[in-house]
Amino acid sequence: MTQATETRRPVIRDAVPGRRDVREVVRDEQVMRRRILEVLAGGPMTVPEIAAAVERPTHEVMFWVMGLRKYGWVAEIKEVDDDGYYRYQVVEREGS
Amino acid sequence: MKGTTKYDALVVGSGIGGMESALKLGDMGYKVLVVEKDASVGGKMILLSKVFPTLDCASCISTPKMAATIHHPNIDVLTYAEVDGIRANGDGTYRARITQRPKFIDEAACTGCRQCEMACNVAVPDEFNADLVSRRAAYIAFPQAVPKKAVIDRAGISPCTGACPAGIKAHGYVARVRSGEYEQAFDLVLEATPLVGSLGRACYAPCESECTRGELEGPLPIRRLKRFIADAHYGRGRDGDPEAVAIEQNGKKVAVVGSGPAGLTAALQLARKGYGVTILEAAEQAGGMLRLGIPAYRLPNEVIDHDISNVTALGVEIRTGVRVDDPAGLKDDGFDAVLVATGTHKAVRLRVPGEELDGVRSALTFLADVKLGKDVGLSGKKVLVVGGGNVAIDAARSARRLGAASVDQVSLECCEEMPAHDFEVEEARAEGITLHDGWGIDHFEGDGRLQAAEIKVCTCVFDPDGRFHPEYDETQRDIIACDVVIVAAGMRADTETFGLETNGDHTLVADPGTLQTAVPHIFAAGDVVTGPTMITTAVGQGRRAAFMIDRYLQGQVLDPGLFDEPLPVVDKDTVLARQQVYDRREPLESNAVMRAAPTDFEETEGPMTEDEAFLGAARCLDCGVCSECHACVDVCPADAIKLDDRPVAIEAEVGTVVLATGFNLFPADAKPQYGYGRFKNVITGMQMDRLLAPTRPYNAVLRPSDGKVPDNIAYIMCTGSRDETVDNPLCSKICCMYSVKQNQLIMGALPLADVTVYYIDVRSVGKGYDEFYQQARDMGCNFVKGRVSGITETEEGNLTLRYEDIENGGALAEAEHDLVVLAVGVQPSRGVAELFAGNGDALALDDHYYVGEVDEDLDPGRTNLPGVFVAGAAAGAKDIPDSILHAGAAVAQAAAHLERARVADEAKAKVPS
Ligand SMILES: Cc1cc2nc3c(=O)[nH]c(=O)nc-3n(C[C@H](O)[C@H](O)[C@H](O)COP(=O)(O)OP(=O)(O)OC[C@H]3O[C@@H](n4cnc5c(N)ncnc54)[C@H](O)[C@@H]3O)c2cc1C
Ligand code: SF4
Ligand code: SF4
Repeated sequence: MTQATETRRPVIRDAVPGRRDVREVVRDEQVMRRRILEVLAGGPMTVPEIAAAVERPTHEVMFWVMGLRKYGWVAEIKEVDDDGYYRYQVVEREGS
Repeated sequence: MKGTTKYDALVVGSGIGGMESALKLGDMGYKVLVVEKDASVGGKMILLSKVFPTLDCASCISTPKMAATIHHPNIDVLTYAEVDGIRANGDGTYRARITQRPKFIDEAACTGCRQCEMACNVAVPDEFNADLVSRRAAYIAFPQAVPKKAVIDRAGISPCTGACPAGIKAHGYVARVRSGEYEQAFDLVLEATPLVGSLGRACYAPCESECTRGELEGPLPIRRLKRFIADAHYGRGRDGDPEAVAIEQNGKKVAVVGSGPAGLTAALQLARKGYGVTILEAAEQAGGMLRLGIPAYRLPNEVIDHDISNVTALGVEIRTGVRVDDPAGLKDDGFDAVLVATGTHKAVRLRVPGEELDGVRSALTFLADVKLGKDVGLSGKKVLVVGGGNVAIDAARSARRLGAASVDQVSLECCEEMPAHDFEVEEARAEGITLHDGWGIDHFEGDGRLQAAEIKVCTCVFDPDGRFHPEYDETQRDIIACDVVIVAAGMRADTETFGLETNGDHTLVADPGTLQTAVPHIFAAGDVVTGPTMITTAVGQGRRAAFMIDRYLQGQVLDPGLFDEPLPVVDKDTVLARQQVYDRREPLESNAVMRAAPTDFEETEGPMTEDEAFLGAARCLDCGVCSECHACVDVCPADAIKLDDRPVAIEAEVGTVVLATGFNLFPADAKPQYGYGRFKNVITGMQMDRLLAPTRPYNAVLRPSDGKVPDNIAYIMCTGSRDETVDNPLCSKICCMYSVKQNQLIMGALPLADVTVYYIDVRSVGKGYDEFYQQARDMGCNFVKGRVSGITETEEGNLTLRYEDIENGGALAEAEHDLVVLAVGVQPSRGVAELFAGNGDALALDDHYYVGEVDEDLDPGRTNLPGVFVAGAAAGAKDIPDSILHAGAAVAQAAAHLERARVADEAKAKVPS
């Protein structure tokens, strides 16, 4: 099989919630960071609450919040709420 | 490590099988080379939570082995390296070709502090966390990585950056804008050139023509993003000039003749290096064609002033009104080197009758007069512009703004072939300019003063060799009445007095790589060398000239290869193939305002709003992965970032080869009925192991769909194993036991959670394994004998499993869970046989594509090739204890092979000749 026939042409399509490529969702972390930090400035929130505030699907917000957590922008509050969700808050970033 | 090196053994792969093989051989006194393709040793084991059946922490027991491997006196390890091929020498020894991929980090300097990854602007899925979270382009593979050094993921130069003749890191500033780092974006452009604002407005943006997003809905607004960052910077209350920067002087002086893009850029670069730079400019004001050619509705004077202040802030002196006729003579004024960057300011004549009439003038002087605010007296006049290029369009649109009664434009080329850009032609038309395309001038008429032009149809502009040689149909003619003719028939360099060698078109002869002229201390750059081009090309020439002048004045060799030695540009198809689907994101519409009869020189294009800039930048595909934004360079305290790193080819002579390339996991989306990839709460066993590991991607075991702590988890065993429908009849051996391990860990971490395992039969063969399984049952894990036929998703993201309930008579049953773990099996790792391609004998694989052992029972680890052995899961599914045992067997074989060879050599040496 040659390289050319192996390369599948990508499909562009209008946003179908829940069907975006993981790579694309992850890439958007840099874009969504500001929005998420803005909404968290009002106090800690769960992933579904953040998703409602930024109007994006919860599973995408999960990637972004966990990325922001990994890179020191947000951290969880230790206790889980009654519905089984952690809340996340903005933290002072190392070096900032 | 360069050239050919000699080792007793080559171990390919550094999972537990590879490390164990290397350590044992090293302990025996053999010299071992380990080659690992990832950035850390450790393979899959280091990524696990705990190991069955002891529940020892996987990283606690892996890291000592990883450290021992790296630090062993007899072992050299190449991480982030690839074996390209292994060739048999015919005597049982082998020669391996290896590529050390560039890490773009100075490993000796890197302290593993993570500052680079904290600052990096590019997010990609983290393969070390099974794609559950992001990592950065600059990354340390995982917290216990050995070596704990960063690498930078670079697929190549991004197409936009690669297309920029100025060498501006286009992708880099796009990424900076996306992160809201506007000042840093400005500084990144400033690294290359002072002309941030001018390029943001007037660049013809070759970057956009190459943008990969152009293959989808349309390119990014890369140029306008540059304008945005310039507007943000210049408008940010730093009223007027930037603060003067004191730079330590090196005592040498350079004269730059000409203050256009090439001269200004070179001056900035040289001043940064401590040269005393003086710009000598013939015109009344600095800026070259930016100031004298490009009309203010495209490039306002204030923007040029701001850009120039970036140069003068470094102490560069600009003397205007100084015409240099003898560049070589500047040596007498104390200049150690001279850069001639005088552009092309002489108009090319039409050579038609009547050109000397009063009222016929050149576009160059016309545009300069307009830009310098002189009265050109066009009000109420009928204006005819001659030419089909950008300059002609600029002249016509300027004339329109100066109150001309009418503006006609004659172009030899027909509309589609005009050298002006299509958008410029459209904008000119929108502003009421009448275009006569495909016509040439026969002559001008008038009685001392111009009255009309006679035009004729042009049938062909170029001869078959592509030379300018217009032909006309002399029978088809017309007359255009006009009071003023503005001729834009081309321009050329004005170099007659310079005493330097020139080409036929008056451009200066300079070495294209070094830009040095035949007079060693004189360099030349920009349009005076290339002929008329565009700002960004001249900027690139200015940078190159400054680089070379610096080397010349330091007495270093002028090697063109050292300037901007770039990686190859990443292939667009490769970029696009990274995703199967793309969200449609429409490109930003132009906001240029076209008025039918403009009367002033207000900018036609408006600024971008912050939202527009943000959304524009958000469309970037991060083609090269690393964007070259230099955020890591800015923050690395050890100065360890080395973006100019290159691959290194290594050859190794080895006495034996141990293949320890491990296994791949079954791709769970190959069982579409389980919905992996579609249903967010269906994950794989490896993903669950990551969620349970201390270095997990989330703060706890959570559902990927919404971050909820799951309370009803299902396992589906044998996903992709013992399954003819996916062409794998084999049992994967590890999935039963890793699931049982995870069941126990989940019940520890989430005491309230229910765990149900759907299985065909549980295979718990091994010392203590069955007890381990029983223990999970005793802890409350529910084992249901049944094959799951399909999964559907509920609105809340829960999953309904349909299964055959075998213990209850095989009836079809359904159950709802809030997280499903697919206990995926293993597959052979790919590409191992290809390592030996080109040898007489191929490496034999078994029926299932694992590396074949000639006799698995009696001779484990030995392949069909003499001196080549296989260790661990590369030979078939194995857990950690089995991998270690198998590596031991392979190593014993490898050592025996080496010893046989040594004994034979010694015997040969003893035979008297
Ligand atoms: C989810 C899950 C949980 C598990 N849990 C357990 C457990 O609890 N206990 C247990 O005993 N086992 C467990 N296992 C099995 C265990 O991971 C394997 O037994 C073990 O990793 C096999 O080691 P290996 O060295 O043969 O292969 P790997 O760990 O796969 O290592 C192979 C290495 O070779 C590198 N490589 C591949 N090709 C090349 C090449 N051409 N050039 C250079 N480098 C190359 C790879 O990058 C990798 O680093 C689990 C597996 C999974 C998937
Ligand atoms: S240059 Fe920028 S994108 Fe590249 S690794 Fe450094 S910080 Fe990341
Ligand atoms: S998609 Fe981004 S990185 Fe790729 S060419 Fe366009 S601007 Fe450059």
